[in-house]
Amino acid sequence: MTGVCGCCGALRPRYKRLVDNIFPEDPEDGLVKANMEKLTFYALSAPEKLDRIGAYLSERLSRDVARHRYGYVCIAMEALDQLLMACHCQSINLFVESFLKMVRKLLEADKPDLQILGTNSFVKFANIEEDTPSYHRSYDFFVSRFSEMCHSSYEDPDIRTKIRMAGIKGLQGVVRKTVNDELQANIWDPQHMDKIVPSLLFNLQQGEGTESRSPSPLQASEKEKEKESPAELTERCFRELLGRAAYGNIKNAVNPVLMHLDNHSLWEGKSFAVRCFKIIMYSIQSQHSHLVIQQLLGHLDANSKNSATVRAGIVEVLLEAAAIASSGSVGPTVLEVFNTLLRQLRLSVDYELTGCYDSCGNIGSKVIKEHEERQLQEAVIKTIGSFANTLPTYQRSEVMLFIIGKIPVPGMHPTLASAKSGFEGSRMIQVMLLKSLLQVTTGFQTTNMLTALPSSFLDPLLSLTLMEDAEIRLLVLEILVSLIDRHDNQPKFSSISIISDISVLKLRVDKCSRQDNLFMKKHSQQLYRHIYMACKEENSGQRHFETLYALLALISMELANEEVVVDLIRLALAMQDLALSNEDMLPVYNRCAVHALSAAYLNLICQLTTVPSFCQHVHEVIETRQKEVPFLLPESVFIENPSVPKSVDKLEGDVLFLQSKITEVLGGSGYNTDRLATPYVPQFTDEDRLSKRKSIGETISLQVEVESRNSPEKEERTPAEEITFETLKNAIVDSIGMEEQERERRRQVVEKFQKAPFEEIAAHCGARATSLQSKLNQIFEITIRPPPSPSGTITAGYGQMQSRSVPVYEMKFPDLCVY
Amino acid sequence: MNAWSNEREIIINPGISPVFVRMSMEDYDHLFKIVLIGNAGVGKTCLVRRFTQGLFPPGQGATIGVDFMIKTVEINGEKVKLQIWDTAGQERFRSITQSYYRSANALILTYDITCEDSFRCLPEWLREIEQYANSKVVTVLVGNKIDLTERREVLRERAEEFAEAQSMLYLETSAKESDNVEKLFLDLACKLIREAKQNSLVNSVSSPMPGEGKTISYLNCCS
Repeated sequence: MTGVCGCCGALRPRYKRLVDNIFPEDPEDGLVKANMEKLTFYALSAPEKLDRIGAYLSERLSRDVARHRYGYVCIAMEALDQLLMACHCQSINLFVESFLKMVRKLLEADKPDLQILGTNSFVKFANIEEDTPSYHRSYDFFVSRFSEMCHSSYEDPDIRTKIRMAGIKGLQGVVRKTVNDELQANIWDPQHMDKIVPSLLFNLQQGEGTESRSPSPLQASEKEKEKESPAELTERCFRELLGRAAYGNIKNAVNPVLMHLDNHSLWEGKSFAVRCFKIIMYSIQSQHSHLVIQQLLGHLDANSKNSATVRAGIVEVLLEAAAIASSGSVGPTVLEVFNTLLRQLRLSVDYELTGCYDSCGNIGSKVIKEHEERQLQEAVIKTIGSFANTLPTYQRSEVMLFIIGKIPVPGMHPTLASAKSGFEGSRMIQVMLLKSLLQVTTGFQTTNMLTALPSSFLDPLLSLTLMEDAEIRLLVLEILVSLIDRHDNQPKFSSISIISDISVLKLRVDKCSRQDNLFMKKHSQQLYRHIYMACKEENSGQRHFETLYALLALISMELANEEVVVDLIRLALAMQDLALSNEDMLPVYNRCAVHALSAAYLNLICQLTTVPSFCQHVHEVIETRQKEVPFLLPESVFIENPSVPKSVDKLEGDVLFLQSKITEVLGGSGYNTDRLATPYVPQFTDEDRLSKRKSIGETISLQVEVESRNSPEKEERTPAEEITFETLKNAIVDSIGMEEQERERRRQVVEKFQKAPFEEIAAHCGARATSLQSKLNQIFEITIRPPPSPSGTITAGYGQMQSRSVPVYEMKFPDLCVY
Repeated sequence: MNAWSNEREIIINPGISPVFVRMSMEDYDHLFKIVLIGNAGVGKTCLVRRFTQGLFPPGQGATIGVDFMIKTVEINGEKVKLQIWDTAGQERFRSITQSYYRSANALILTYDITCEDSFRCLPEWLREIEQYANSKVVTVLVGNKIDLTERREVLRERAEEFAEAQSMLYLETSAKESDNVEKLFLDLACKLIREAKQNSLVNSVSSPMPGEGKTISYLNCCS
């Protein structure tokens, strides 16, 4: 070989001679450094020859590969690398062709050494920033081959690890090389992402397996010397990839992750899926996080018929992802996120009740494991809370309204529960939705109760239908507590007891704002009634009374003005009467509990009012009770095995709180004694009153109508002719018809506002605003005439002024008024 | 698209005479990507090993993800480089394997003649091909393990009928006995060459190849 070269050396072109000279006689000696410098110098001074040098070098290299002369292969590759590094960007474009061909050649080889050599060179090349576009370069093969290397199953584990790591580095290189070059193959295309992402995940997952298998100490120390494990490298690469993903690429990058987790059944285990998505959420640009959440939600929907463990896994991941994304997790479609989660909750309830995934019960449907569905439901509820936590107050109250709108309240909303699940189904859904609501309300702090809790929210929540069931009742009370508590006082009232000095609680109280007062004016009676009615329920347990106590305490802390305090004291006394009179045939335990509740509450409120004589009275009664009837105090009632007597009738005297006494002592401090003296009777809201007294109301209005119709005509016609039984009957029937029409109309309006898109409603209101505008214009035109000009000659300047200053009545209402 | 990319690979260095190309820069005239698919354990890896290395590895483990082999063969004086991507049959690797269908020039759909199940899964595989592979892909149906005659569960006629209905080529092989393995890959290569040539005729008339501009620089700088 050398002989041949020697003889025709003079005839060979200079670049070929230079290239030949860098190869030593014995490949063991390595690259001939001095000659390599000569070659580099030549290439730099004659860049037009660079591609020829490259072509010749690669020709030699492929020959050496074919002849298994690996020493020379390495030398050739080293030379290619050095030339690549030394030469300027502009001139390497064609040279790169030969270079990549050589890398490819090495990657095609069987030998792991050559594959790794090729990869290393490729990585070096990938780190060069080229400034000339290269339209025709294709990295398909590299992506395919590197992905394949990531899955290497070479027998020797050390070499296998090396090949896999080379694969990962190679993929990282391809991504680096192409990601910023719009002219090149789009690395974000599914055809590439579907290879790259699963290959990375596969290695990430492998790492988990080996980490648990603790290596022997000797191996460990050896491993420490090595820079990085494949899993660590993979994670770094994966993070880099995700960090570079633009808005439009997120989907293509995340989809293969979902697919991989599906195919490898990794949702069930949770930990790996959670880890993946933690990496994703922390690596992507934060403004894109809601896209990932959306994809996860979509995937959850797509897996609706999959086993509960899979769905629970996805929900778990959602939970973690939402926490990481925090404010960015929900994105523009707030309600859609909650809608999806609530739908999953409903589905799960349905599955649990029906026991199969298909309503028709196909043969293929899997057996539903009830406890798994339960776990899923808990996870969904937790996730709902986690999402809600990221929302600002106004959106949170929107979500609360949305959830309450989904609660099947018979008579209030059309029942959502499917017919087959029936009563139990709607009860379970009520429980689930209320639990979700509780999650959403936890930590909810609003300065404006009035807007945050409109009637449309409170009415269904406080409706009587949510009262009967003990679990549901407790949930509603807990929701109320967490809504009203805005200063984290709730934990201080988690148990019910007589506290002799409330300063130990270190309560945080702000002055009650104007909105709070308005809120109480509007809704206080509803709240009192709810508390009162809750005391009347037979199936209450300790938790109920504790929560009632917390609710009463928090109302007095958060929302109390003088009037409210008076009402609350009346309420407490009314509760005592309720327990005393026992019209509702309550069990003895409940009666004692209500006594204890009212005592504990009066003890609290008397200290809050800081009226000494009031405190004294309460204190005396409590002391007497301690001596004579301890079972009327929380300390004896709300314990594990309360000892209550067989009967609690015939209570009188000093063991009871006296309305007259309290009125007297508070009257001295300027409280409204008239009001205090009147015993509390639960008042019904307008709506309830309306529904109860409707018949009476109708009768009255009918009478009025009849009278007014007849009175002007009395002289002309005899009343006997006019009012017969028939006419009356007709009138009644008519009015009922009218009433029904009216109701129908109302329902339609409500439905419209519930279902129509926002734009439509806005447009509708806008139209009304314009008609108002035109009416106003008409009126103004009639009433206000333009002032007659003083002399009849108007200067140009004056005219301009006029046109500039628009009279008040011509001003358009700003569009915002529509909303 | 495939044919186009092949074309590109071949004349990646225009301006250098074909002879020179063969000797130095490119050691092939055609490059084809062949992907093996089919149920786990039907012998895909063994077929590839037999063809590329002439071995029959007993106790071959399940393939992880994808495996890659290359083999250059000479057909009618033309060097044909076959890039063979051997995919895992296991369900869990389905997403990574599917990503390899797209760029394939040919698919070898393999089943085990001693395993009725692997035959029954074929329609499912065809759906996958339909979904993920190029529409011009050449598909060959291969019934492997004919050395185990006594355990045959799928009759030859049945498979032939099926292949014909789906307009696929059909071949029965034995990786162990090396029956029909060479024939499988060589026949496939022939067919691919024919198709490539047809396509190149169509293509060369209609569109100039990208990168042709480079020729000039080569002509200019004779040393």
